Amino acid sequence: MRTLRTVAFIFLAAGSLAASEIHPPAQATAGKAITIQTSGSGDATFYLIGPAIASKSKVQAGSDISVDSDELQQAGRYIAILCASDGCTSADFFVTPAAANRLSFLVHPSRVPVGTANGISAVAFVHDNFQNLVLKPEPVTFSIMPNNEKPVSATRPSQNGVAWVRLTSARKEGPTKLGASIGHADEIRVVEQVAADACNLRIKADREKKDFEIETDPVHDCAGNPVPDGTVVSFTESDSAGKTTVDVPIKRGIAKIDMPIDGRAKITVASGVVTGNELEVSGQ
Amino acid sequence: MRATLLRYGSVFAVIAILLLGVVAYQLRATADDELPRVQLNANNIGPRQIEDLTSKSVPRDYALAWQTMEQALNQNQPGLLDGYFTGFAKQDLTQRVNSQIKSGLHTRYTDRGHQLDALFYSPAGDAMELRDHAQVDIQVLDGDKVIYDQPVTAEYMVLMTPGADRWLVRQLQAVNGTKP
Amino acid sequence: MKYMLPIVIGIITLVLIIISWVQSGGVARHEMAAANTPEQAVRLMLSEIQAHNFDAAYSRLADRDDVDKETFVREFSGSYGSLLTYASLQSFDVWGLHTSDQEATFRASLHYSTAVGQLDDVRDLKVQKVDNAWKVFWPVNNATKLPPQVIATNYLRWDVVNRGAGDEWGVQDVDSPQVRILSMNPIQRPDGLTLVGEVVNEDSVPAFINIGATLLDSHGNEIAQESSFDKIDHTLLPKQVSPYRIDFPDMRMERVKSVRMDAKALLVSASADPVIEVTQQKLETDPLGKKVLSGDLIDEGGQVVDIPHVIASYYDANGKVIWVSDGYVDQPLLPQVPVPFAVDVPPDIAKDVHSYHVTVNYYNRTS
Repeated sequence: MRTLRTVAFIFLAAGSLAASEIHPPAQATAGKAITIQTSGSGDATFYLIGPAIASKSKVQAGSDISVDSDELQQAGRYIAILCASDGCTSADFFVTPAAANRLSFLVHPSRVPVGTANGISAVAFVHDNFQNLVLKPEPVTFSIMPNNEKPVSATRPSQNGVAWVRLTSARKEGPTKLGASIGHADEIRVVEQVAADACNLRIKADREKKDFEIETDPVHDCAGNPVPDGTVVSFTESDSAGKTTVDVPIKRGIAKIDMPIDGRAKITVASGVVTGNELEVSGQ
Repeated sequence: MRATLLRYGSVFAVIAILLLGVVAYQLRATADDELPRVQLNANNIGPRQIEDLTSKSVPRDYALAWQTMEQALNQNQPGLLDGYFTGFAKQDLTQRVNSQIKSGLHTRYTDRGHQLDALFYSPAGDAMELRDHAQVDIQVLDGDKVIYDQPVTAEYMVLMTPGADRWLVRQLQAVNGTKP
Repeated sequence: MKYMLPIVIGIITLVLIIISWVQSGGVARHEMAAANTPEQAVRLMLSEIQAHNFDAAYSRLADRDDVDKETFVREFSGSYGSLLTYASLQSFDVWGLHTSDQEATFRASLHYSTAVGQLDDVRDLKVQKVDNAWKVFWPVNNATKLPPQVIATNYLRWDVVNRGAGDEWGVQDVDSPQVRILSMNPIQRPDGLTLVGEVVNEDSVPAFINIGATLLDSHGNEIAQESSFDKIDHTLLPKQVSPYRIDFPDMRMERVKSVRMDAKALLVSASADPVIEVTQQKLETDPLGKKVLSGDLIDEGGQVVDIPHVIASYYDANGKVIWVSDGYVDQPLLPQVPVPFAVDVPPDIAKDVHSYHVTVNYYNRTS
């Protein structure tokens, strides 16, 4: 009897001295609930430390602990800690991103001159529904949808969560849509293609009573696109009295100014770094 | 005579101990405030080549980001994240700090350095992706009780974007990690 | 005995009052009150203007019948939102050009303290002896008046809608304008190092720009950093070119190995109106012997320009920018009313000037 009591006592003591353990799965997926197995007995405190979480709850050592899906939305490294009367034990596990379903789509620039080789860059960062970066290669479809023309698409595999492409702007001015898609994500951006620098800038002069009306021909770039209204054209007139300059914005495709001219005068024109023809006129 | 010497000696000893204590505290504070060591390798960066100034700013701002993150997680002050974090990273870390406050926890880091490999620099220069091999000692405390204390070698995927006068961490995602 | 203290205090107070009256120029004013000399007449009138006693200053004029008092006051206190409305006459210098028994000519250099620094104005003033007192003969202001009218303005205007604070990263935003620095030339001056050049807005939208420069030594360390401040036309319309100048006081070129330029451009709302014509530009010597670039500004639009700011770039025979100078005009630009301007050119630079270009920036009160 005494021996039996001693053996029972030894077993009980051994049982109570057995260290608690915690066994999370080696890997989990973002947004999916998991169960963490524990061993040991008695009251314990469970801690879950992750990229966006640091929770604490009372549990029974030896029971399975459920971790909700909304506690595991962020991909990254998690620490599961179980603290019981015999001390604390811990285990790390990783949460990997879920399926690719979102894109951060960066397109630059928002305005580009026509005919610029590789002038547009499109970069897509691949995310899952919880904004985690999906690092395994995924096919991203880029498409370009010019006005009144057929759309063109190409697929690029992502590397380390990034896919990118460079495009040449069209020869015609106007808005162009660029798209990127993966899974249910479909992002569209608009790039405004604008006329390039003025080409063949020409002015003519008409006498208007005492003054001269100086005006440009309709201002176009070398591809024939009209230079946008508001673009500045600089007129310079030099005569015996001195020099006159005026910066005039293009209005309805042309820039014009009235200038009083005494004697012989030379008139030049420029827009940005582009210069036009020279006129020699004679005033009164 | 001896009594006088003894008296003066003990007074000097007390003053010296106090001074040393203050100095030790300051040194400790200085050690805490030291920037983590960050080395950048931009040999494989593309498609855009990294500018000279950017190659200095990125590791400096990344180090400052880690320093402020470690302070925020230790002191449970989410406002400290405003300086060098933005977007998803700031959102997640703020949530973490608030969660720590609710649970009475805080996390202490001893930063042993980072090796940054630059992987991608967007053509327009508005985003950079890097991989960080980080060595940190992590302690988790419940109140004053240490419940977790481990040295960790972790790998992070980092997304940084330029702010007004600095680079900001937009995403900081651990992808692999083993204990040394 | 008991009244000794109040008497002593009273005497001391009286003495202090007399000392402060003398120190404030009371003796000088008393001497000038009768304007016994032509110089006294000019100085007295300008003192009254300085003290904003315009009635007293107006009473010193010989030709009050021809000079409208409101116009006279506006010449010193400004009108609309011109620079003079934010200025005060700080001091003046007067010296004689010609003197006789009945009339004299004096040159007065007026120094105004303004919101943008010191402004100088030089005027030649005739003084006549009228009823045994010298009085100033004020020139009648024949400036063109602006008749009431409707002026249609249909130049383009740009407004900007940016992405919101709540928009996700990756949502498209409007890009900052593309600007390009066309040239940068360092010039060693006696008082420091100056960088001059030109910048162009290459984009199709308006840009608010500022140019900064950092000087680096041979080890790549930064030794100084400055920006163009107001020596640039900040708001550039598409394809517009502006000169810029960056001054580094007390800097020697020998210390500088390289310069890092930084052009910051912001997308801003802007209007293409008003268009300002710069006419009759010529390099000449002013009455004080200084080299100046002078001309007239004409506001071709319908909007009043409160504070015009003239920025001129000078080129050598190779077309290189060799200097940039600027000056504020103290009068507003009324539509179609020419207003003269003049900006200084350093004499050692003026001899190398082959051509020049004037840009007009402006500041308006916000309504």
